[in-house]
Amino acid sequence: MTPLTLTADATGRAGRARRTAWVPTLVLLLGTLYCLVPIAWVVIAATKNRSELFSTFSFAPGTGLLDNVSDLTAYRDGIYWQWMANSAFYAGAGALLSAAVSAAGGYALGRYSFRGREAIFKMILAGVLVPSVVLAVPQYLLLSKTGLADSYWSMLLPSILSPYGVYLVRIYAAASVPAELMEAARMDGASEWRIFSRIAVPMMMPGLITVFLFQFVAIWNNFLLPFVMLADDTKFPITLGLYTLLAQGASQPALYTLVITGCLLAILPLIALFLVIQRFWSLDLLSGSIKS
Amino acid sequence: MSIHSRQISRRSVLAGAAALGLTGTLAACGGSDDDSGESGGPVKLTYWSWAPNMEKVAAIWNKKNPDITVTVSKQASGAEILSKLITAKKAGNAPDLIQVEYQSLPTLVSNDVLADISKYAGDTKSDFSEGLWGMVTLGTDAVYAIPQDSGPLMFYYREDLFKKHGLSVPKTWTEFAETARAAKKAVPDAYLTTFSSNDPGLFAGLAQQAGGKWWTVDGSGKWTVGVDDAATKKVTEFWGGLVQEGVIDNQPMYTPPWNQALNKGTHLAWVSAVWAPGVLVSSAPETKGKWRMAPLPQWKAGDNVTGSWGGSSTGVSTDSKHAEAAAKFARWINTDPQALAALVKEVAIYPAATKGQSGDILTTPEFFSNQKDFYTTAAEIAATTAASAWGPNVQTTYTAFQDNFGKATKAKKETQFVSALGTMQAKTFDDMKKQGFEVAEA
Amino acid sequence: MTSVPLKGSDRIAAGPLADGTGTAPSVRPSRPRRRGRSAPYWFLVPTLALFAAFTVVPIGYSIWLSLHKVKVKGIGLGKGAREQVWNGFGNYTDVFQDSEFGHSVLRAFGYGLIVIPTMLGLALLFALMLDTPKARSAPLARLMIFLPYAVPGIIAALMWGFLYLPDVSPFYYLLDKFGLPQPDLFNGGNLYLSFANIAVWGGTGFNMIVIYTALRAIPRDIYEAARIDGASDLHIALKIKIPIVMPALVLTFFFSVIATLQVFTEPMALKPLTNNLQSTWSPLMAIYDSAFLKSDIYGASATTVVLALATFVLSFTLLRISDRYTGEDRA
Repeated sequence: MTPLTLTADATGRAGRARRTAWVPTLVLLLGTLYCLVPIAWVVIAATKNRSELFSTFSFAPGTGLLDNVSDLTAYRDGIYWQWMANSAFYAGAGALLSAAVSAAGGYALGRYSFRGREAIFKMILAGVLVPSVVLAVPQYLLLSKTGLADSYWSMLLPSILSPYGVYLVRIYAAASVPAELMEAARMDGASEWRIFSRIAVPMMMPGLITVFLFQFVAIWNNFLLPFVMLADDTKFPITLGLYTLLAQGASQPALYTLVITGCLLAILPLIALFLVIQRFWSLDLLSGSIKS
Repeated sequence: MSIHSRQISRRSVLAGAAALGLTGTLAACGGSDDDSGESGGPVKLTYWSWAPNMEKVAAIWNKKNPDITVTVSKQASGAEILSKLITAKKAGNAPDLIQVEYQSLPTLVSNDVLADISKYAGDTKSDFSEGLWGMVTLGTDAVYAIPQDSGPLMFYYREDLFKKHGLSVPKTWTEFAETARAAKKAVPDAYLTTFSSNDPGLFAGLAQQAGGKWWTVDGSGKWTVGVDDAATKKVTEFWGGLVQEGVIDNQPMYTPPWNQALNKGTHLAWVSAVWAPGVLVSSAPETKGKWRMAPLPQWKAGDNVTGSWGGSSTGVSTDSKHAEAAAKFARWINTDPQALAALVKEVAIYPAATKGQSGDILTTPEFFSNQKDFYTTAAEIAATTAASAWGPNVQTTYTAFQDNFGKATKAKKETQFVSALGTMQAKTFDDMKKQGFEVAEA
Repeated sequence: MTSVPLKGSDRIAAGPLADGTGTAPSVRPSRPRRRGRSAPYWFLVPTLALFAAFTVVPIGYSIWLSLHKVKVKGIGLGKGAREQVWNGFGNYTDVFQDSEFGHSVLRAFGYGLIVIPTMLGLALLFALMLDTPKARSAPLARLMIFLPYAVPGIIAALMWGFLYLPDVSPFYYLLDKFGLPQPDLFNGGNLYLSFANIAVWGGTGFNMIVIYTALRAIPRDIYEAARIDGASDLHIALKIKIPIVMPALVLTFFFSVIATLQVFTEPMALKPLTNNLQSTWSPLMAIYDSAFLKSDIYGASATTVVLALATFVLSFTLLRISDRYTGEDRA
């Protein structure tokens, strides 16, 4: 694997502090380029109006961005923004509830010892092995039987449980909430709930935020669950909305510009979120559980 | 479903959901939000439809009928709705009104989703041609839906390019083949048209024109599956041969490359239905005014018959608590002149109702400004639509078509076309047998 | 089905869910550690309730459905035409005899064979590159390569779909300019590459971060010691870094395997653009086709159960193998 060979001298680090490692730099730049190409393309393509889309060179900017956005808004009286709002709702509410539920569950598993603890934990983790995609169809059938299919509930409820979230909180709770503090609080007469809500939750906050973000992204990106659950397209999240726009619009080139513009607007929120978050929160937390 | 299963799953779900306080929601969700009873009190109906702007038409009704409010719930597409409807029906909450494509009617009736509204239909029968009415009665005395729109097949061609290259407008399929060859010779990079393996509806319509009857049922309830009957085989061999010869393209329709082909003139014609102008407007805007519509080529000179591609109807579900009101709406939206005008204008469909096919409602499409008698011709063609024969598992057949003809068109081999047809037949037959129908092969 | 002993006789009805003014739970002298014994169970109620409702019950319902089928009576139209009957393992024999499903599984495997080594290989490579002291672009690259994670899979597939279209894609434009052959990316074997590319693009970043984090956790002295012994950087990477982050690699491998068996989004997104894609290209598409297009929820349930079992078995086998390889004890 020659790319790993550094041109800089490995031993004399102090003396060569200014030398760049070219090969890794190049490899990383290529990786960056690869990852950015589709995003760059969609940014530029969204600026083209219909006739420019198929005729001009892909990376030459067009003139129609504002037109495209207004066309997109005009399409069926702004349903695109309804989809956006739906996504925000599902992801925001779902992640919030998920963080809360995971907080309680992970806290219990991490800071108490009780009969059945390991069994329960293993069982919940086993849920990871059966990913939601395989559960989607039976979940749909069940929700349909209770009349909840094609409703906002049908999108929220299956998204709340996050085995990964519980796992993460457990680790975090065990590491960051000292048992002595809990004992002391108990001595003072605090109930378990008080200990949890007033002491543990603030201490676990970074972990809870991680769970929130993780679940937010997962729900925002989810395609299969809404695809299976929802029929009425005013409830679609942005992923499903764009897909149906393209599927329906395969016959109408007019819709291509809408789809492309829609794609661009759809990825902006999460990218913005990431760029903002990464200053305040370490991505390492997301994967910090590997050690265990 | 048996009561037993309902109890089990409901119990477990309630147990799981109790902690979340959903019991209240469940109780409320059990039925629809309509009031009970036909008389008295305003009625609220839901209407599942995928056609664009249907809510605008419903709005007209709502204004005129304040005591019966229809809310349109826009669905994504026709095929996947079927399953959602059947599942909703199992849960007891299918919507009151449904937009149903003709080929899906037997499937829904078989799953007891559509109610028989013959007692509310009155004399609606007279508003439609016999062929169309037959599609919603399925040959019985019951009426399962009111026809909304239809799609009789016709032949569209580039008048200017035909003139330029001295091509003649084919009146028979034999002439069609000759025109295809001549076109290829005149313009080596172009094709007369394409055979699309993505559009089973078109293929079904062509088979229908040739006299194919894919499903028939006799009085004793025994079905016969004849997807590969002689008529359909003839159609298959015809198109397979032309694709193999290279004079007909093999790419699917409704894709960006196909749009380009229409727009740039690489396809000189299009076998399509009466709603083609709407598609051409967005797919091939630069060709405005250059097309002309003619009757579909016939198998025998002097014949006058066509098939149909698509088209839907409005049905009332068996779960509806206001079947009479729903049927009233269904009748109104498909026969009332004001409704028909709105359907044409907002939803851009070609009405199935005979009176909607003539008169002032339909104005010559802008795209066909060169053909002033567009709709008069269309009405004449529509009247010659052959009867179609759908069965309870059309979706299986359609999927088999896409999968197998997809491979055949890619390979461009006529023999593969024929074997693909055979696979379609086998899959349809096996699927019906598996479901327990009494079925025989044609 | 859950192990929550809600009816346990030795529980105290403490008030953890009360408004915070609950009394301090009493302590049994024989078990000094079990304060608030019921508290953990109460905290777990939402988790377990959701788990029961949305994992256990659906699986159970699926299994129940898979053992039944629908039978048509008479002409098959109208009321009472269909009834649900017991079918034993009939649906399962159908699944195993269904050559199309078998093909879809093989395709998923083929797809996995392309995606997993590429994605994890790249993730490892990028992580190692990031861990190099003088790689100039490291912070930027780390963010940019991770960015695709923020793009929903379906949108990524749609974007790449456009990039695969000859009329729109800059790649084809360039190929055309240089007179190079223009491959049809929607055709047969190339489909695997087309889908794999999308998956790799979307998943490498996340896995890279996982591996990178593990790399950062390695104490630097190990490297010093190795360098003093004269090891080159390549040597360090291969013999020290990679073995130490093996657990991270195994974890990402594990999740990647599960994900590739479930491939659904990429084929579904590209389906409208081509006529070469069967409706049953991947196992999950086959299930969807059965359940929603053919309305055969019974067959679909059986297929789901088979797929779930296969995933389980595969996961366990992989876990066993990895445990033996890394010598770790997975409690």
